[in-house]
Amino acid sequence: MHLPYASRAPLALTALALLLASCKGDSVVAPGGETEVISRVTLTLTPTTGAAISAYIEDADGSGPNAPSAQVGTLTMPAGTAFTGAVRFENRLVTPVENITDEVRTEASTHRVFYSVTGTGVTVNSTDLDGNGRPLGLAFTATAPTGTTAGTRTVRVVLCHYDGVTKPAVATACSADTDIDVSFTVAVP
Amino acid sequence: MIGEYQQPIPLARAQAAAPVRVTGPWQRGSSDPARRARSVAPLLALFALLGSLMAGNPLRAQESARATPMRRLHGELRDSASGAALRGAAIVITGPISRRSQTDASGHFEFAQLPSGPYILRVRLIGFAPLERVVNVTNGDATVRLTLRSATISLDSVVVTTDALADPLSRVAATSTVDAAELSATRGQTLGETIKLLPGVSVVQFGPSIAKPVIRGLNSQRVLVMNAGLRQEDQQWGTEHAPNIDSFDADRVIVVRGAATVLYGPDAIGGVVRVEHDPVPDGGSAKGELSLNGFTNSRQGALSLGLQGGGLQLPRLGQTGYRLRFSSRVAGNGAAPDYSLSNTGFRELNGSATFGVHRPWGTSELMISHFSTELGVLRQAHVGNFDDLQRSLTAAPPDSSFSYGIDRPNQRVQHTTLRVRSAFVLPRAGELEVVFGSQANHRREYDNHGPLRVRGIAAFNLKLFTNSLDVRWNHGLQHGFVGTIGTSAMLQGNQTLGKAFLIPGFDLSQAAVYAQEAYSIGRLTLNAGARTDVFSQTTLPYADAGIRSEAGTRRWTGFSGSLGSELRLTDALSASLRVARAWRPPTVNERYAQGVHHGTAQYELGRASLAPERSAGVEGVLRYSSERSMFEVAGYANNINGFIFLQPRAPVLTIRGAFPAYNYDQTNARLSGIELSGMLAPSHWLRIQGTANAVRGTDRTNGGPLFDMPADRATIQVRVLGSRPRLGRWYVALGSVLVQQQGGVPAGTVYQLPTAGYALASFDVGSANIVIGGHQIDLGLSATNLLNARYRDYLSRYRLFVNDAGRDLILRLRIPM
Repeated sequence: MHLPYASRAPLALTALALLLASCKGDSVVAPGGETEVISRVTLTLTPTTGAAISAYIEDADGSGPNAPSAQVGTLTMPAGTAFTGAVRFENRLVTPVENITDEVRTEASTHRVFYSVTGTGVTVNSTDLDGNGRPLGLAFTATAPTGTTAGTRTVRVVLCHYDGVTKPAVATACSADTDIDVSFTVAVP
Repeated sequence: MIGEYQQPIPLARAQAAAPVRVTGPWQRGSSDPARRARSVAPLLALFALLGSLMAGNPLRAQESARATPMRRLHGELRDSASGAALRGAAIVITGPISRRSQTDASGHFEFAQLPSGPYILRVRLIGFAPLERVVNVTNGDATVRLTLRSATISLDSVVVTTDALADPLSRVAATSTVDAAELSATRGQTLGETIKLLPGVSVVQFGPSIAKPVIRGLNSQRVLVMNAGLRQEDQQWGTEHAPNIDSFDADRVIVVRGAATVLYGPDAIGGVVRVEHDPVPDGGSAKGELSLNGFTNSRQGALSLGLQGGGLQLPRLGQTGYRLRFSSRVAGNGAAPDYSLSNTGFRELNGSATFGVHRPWGTSELMISHFSTELGVLRQAHVGNFDDLQRSLTAAPPDSSFSYGIDRPNQRVQHTTLRVRSAFVLPRAGELEVVFGSQANHRREYDNHGPLRVRGIAAFNLKLFTNSLDVRWNHGLQHGFVGTIGTSAMLQGNQTLGKAFLIPGFDLSQAAVYAQEAYSIGRLTLNAGARTDVFSQTTLPYADAGIRSEAGTRRWTGFSGSLGSELRLTDALSASLRVARAWRPPTVNERYAQGVHHGTAQYELGRASLAPERSAGVEGVLRYSSERSMFEVAGYANNINGFIFLQPRAPVLTIRGAFPAYNYDQTNARLSGIELSGMLAPSHWLRIQGTANAVRGTDRTNGGPLFDMPADRATIQVRVLGSRPRLGRWYVALGSVLVQQQGGVPAGTVYQLPTAGYALASFDVGSANIVIGGHQIDLGLSATNLLNARYRDYLSRYRLFVNDAGRDLILRLRIPM
């Protein structure tokens, strides 16, 4: 056999060049992919009469290593008042801002928002249900009965994601994956 | 072993003896030697350039090449007792060039086109004592008639041996080989499983589907995996990224323990796992092989189909050898003694095609292979934040039912390799080996967070493209030296495309020159090697907010060197000592990792300014080998300055809650250890063998232990064997693995709990060449974790959550066709 390699060298070199050209590195975000992040959680409390109050906690780098911001806005619940409340999850790292609350509502059967209060007096109870009649927690009532001692309370908001496991009908805490875990301060004057 | 040809051949005598014109029956076709010589002239010019560095006058090398006498060495092999022809024996010759072959059905073997000179011929066949002989092919063709004695010690289980091919390193470094017969005992399992019983080797495991080799306590970016002469580039920095290699597609696995950076580059700082393939046949008709395996634990089925032959006639190319392989493995959830390991199944589908020519000028092979796998990650191990992790640690594992289904979280990986490996015969100057490889690796990891509409988008989506070119001159015996001089170049690009950040995209280029030489003086062989590497790593910024992944280029240059000596004290006993310097630049994940790791909820933060780590080590090996026993003890101590590791830090607080967090940091570490392996054959039907390993990893700055060090371990196996006409070569074996508690664990990590010691039993029964219905087949039945022990290995990454797998019964069947 003769060795016609020399005559085929240009072809081989072209093939090699193509191979080398195909191997450049790249860093891009998958289309629509980064929306997994929730960067802001907002609590809104609406009294039976009067204007709604709201506060939010923001994490400017999403799941990045920097800690979330301090609470922006104050939540004041005078003793003897009842509020209807709503929680809002947003991704503000993209433009336009994405409303993740809608995603949670769409996947209501695999999500639940838990509210736990540290300190006495203030109670938070979720009021909405998913399609299976199990608690969802996007809407809630918050009450500070008459005679509640003045001071601050902490309301911890946990968004629980039941992926691959059944969402229990009765639960007091998240038993699956935690998507959000933030604590708001509520003042009782 | 090199001692036998310590005498340099006087060049003048060899030339004088050379006939001017060479003809012989081994020359195929009508090719004219003069034309052949001309057509390899460009290569010879390159050789001459290299040669001038070593041997002086390039012109003379070129002239002598034209008048090269090409010799033929052939022979036959018989059983000393029965006189029957022995088929399938491995024949290896080392000398001016090195070649490997097998005896055919009539016991014949042949090496054509050998440069004249003295060769060492080694013969190995299971069930027979190995044979070694010096054959002189200086004055003409040589014919040898060899007989093998049936041995009390056969080599069909893990045996420490030097690599027979021209690899000077193996004479002084601790090296183990798993050959085809030994591999057949673990067929159907992962590459990690096939080598984990070798001395000094263990595995980091993520359930049944992911097993990563650990050599002397180091793994991942510190242990190089070579597949058929090509560096396997498959995002190997991740401990949960198993080598993307079809374990069926391996004819031999060679493990080099300790720094082997001179021949293999900086990522061999911990050792090398070499997966080797037999050359495609040179002639002969088509032969097939079917392997079927069944595993009870994960209800795994594995199938491998092979077809090879040498008689393919291709236009323009002529006679071509080929090998086609196809394999598939499908497994469901593994099972611990009390519960099923949810979502730990896998599906693997692989194929490869190799075409090769054996010609007077040398050999050349083209291989294309594709590996694809989809595997599940244990459901409990995938947690949202620290609270979830705590809950997962304390909760009893939910008893999940068996399923073949693979759910989130999971990995999908595809690896495609194109390889051209050629070895050009350089008359009286060994061979020039050129390996070009192109690899594409596509890794997608899916998690179970996030909204449904992006569920189909991988969290991590990495595409890695690698092109590499290696040119090695294995120069055979030159002025008393045997060795290799080589260059290596690699271009790599990584694309980060997923919805979450793990590592940035990058471009990496690497180039190296190296030389490794051995010289023998009587019973002493001296060995020295040196290498220089240049790296350039350019990282590309990631587009997402909050990720600090700035663009930048860093370059590193480093030197590796080794010095060794082997002394043959007696024919049976040898001692070797080696010192080695090695280095390794930081990998991209060590510099830029930022995010939560799958499976552990641990937050890892890279440090861009990391410096290369540098190691200096010493190792000694004592080997004893006689007809009835074999023993090896290896000890080593290795200081790695700037050792890159994960340092626990304050938890990272995010809007998702708190995560245990680690920074990539550097310290000065020491790794030391001892490895024992031995075999005793008190009688021809009985064999006892065992290994023992201990590794100590110490952070020298504070005296504390290093993370991820394997626990002390010993294995023992008692094997009864024999041979009957219809029953074939049968064996029954009972074995045990004993593992100590790993008490040396660093504080401050979720892995700080020590794991208890454990003992496992295994049982094997089977036979090779058993005759059933007129067909010769191999049949084996094995049981691992025979007593269904509940245990958690320290290197199991699921050990925080679940027990390791329970009893597994494995049926293996191999049918040659």
